[in-house]
Amino acid sequence: MIFRAVEDADLIRKSAHGDVEAFNLLVSRWERRVFNYLLRLTGHREDSLDLCQDVFLKAYQNLRKLEDPARFAPWLFRIAHNEAFSLLRRRKTEAEEPRPPHTGAAVPLAGSGIYPLELTVAVSSALDRLSADQRDAVVLKIYQGFKFEEIAQILACPVSTVKSRLYTALDLLKAALAPSATSQNARGEI
Amino acid sequence: MNCSPFDLRDYFFDELPDDQRRQVAAHVATCAACCEELDRLRLTQAALLTLRDEEIPQRIGFVSDRVYEPSALRRRWRAFWGSAPRLGFASAAMLSLAILFASLYRPATPSADLTQLRAEIQKAVAESEARQAGNTAQLLAAANQRYEEDRSKDRQALDRAFDILEKTVKSWYRAANYSGDGQ
Repeated sequence: MIFRAVEDADLIRKSAHGDVEAFNLLVSRWERRVFNYLLRLTGHREDSLDLCQDVFLKAYQNLRKLEDPARFAPWLFRIAHNEAFSLLRRRKTEAEEPRPPHTGAAVPLAGSGIYPLELTVAVSSALDRLSADQRDAVVLKIYQGFKFEEIAQILACPVSTVKSRLYTALDLLKAALAPSATSQNARGEI
Repeated sequence: MNCSPFDLRDYFFDELPDDQRRQVAAHVATCAACCEELDRLRLTQAALLTLRDEEIPQRIGFVSDRVYEPSALRRRWRAFWGSAPRLGFASAAMLSLAILFASLYRPATPSADLTQLRAEIQKAVAESEARQAGNTAQLLAAANQRYEEDRSKDRQALDRAFDILEKTVKSWYRAANYSGDGQ
């Protein structure tokens, strides 16, 4: 991980000096994470792919403004967060146009080959019931593994707000998932 | 709620400092309620992680585009000034050069006293030159006057000598005529 961070810093420096190949390599390292973050926020593959391209284009255009290459990940996800929430706001204003619901129905569930479909459906539904802010906090912490301080930077809010959103969301998720997970666990043991 | 000395959820997400983490770990080892709460958090996280990351359907790539690329000169310029140590070194070098230049080529700033002194010197020199010119003119005039007086005296003396010579010649001539008549 340390070596990867060092290499990322080197790629960021080269990209900032206009090395497109270095930036392409950087994109290839981060595109999957950014795409999945956007997918879990927007629930739409095509939109997420478009947003992902916009995110990396903006990152390339503004890479020289990044003062500390070690803060690349929160900086990149800050751009992704802004892009995703711009889309969500646009969707809200286009309320008269019906759009497919969130992750549950619009996006076929991944990982259903490993885990029971019942559980993955329950997880998708539980995530759908969260507010966008709560879902954002859960995705950044549980799926992307950022520290609270990094999430606060991405969301541009205090750490206390991050914790509040995350823990409220976890309470809701616990209520929705822990029983089914527990029962699934119990069934697995039988 | 739980009876943990610090937030059990912070402990679960490994966001506590080492000393607090140790305290919570010791508490959880003896508290069934907190241990159960921790298990619920683990189960919830495990359930959430059943949703696996998807592969991106289309790889994102960029091609070299001059619209977004700064010129080579600009890149070098930005690269140079983008480094804080280089910027500091350049500032220090500029300051050193400025001090060196100031010490070597410090321009003489004429003060008010110096200007006044210069004016007084020029005035004294002018007055001295005027006095010298006046004296010279007086001396020249006196010399001319003396010269004219001497010349006048010489002319008078010459006139007198001519008169004497003329009288002498006349007397000689008269004497000669007398001697001729007498023969």
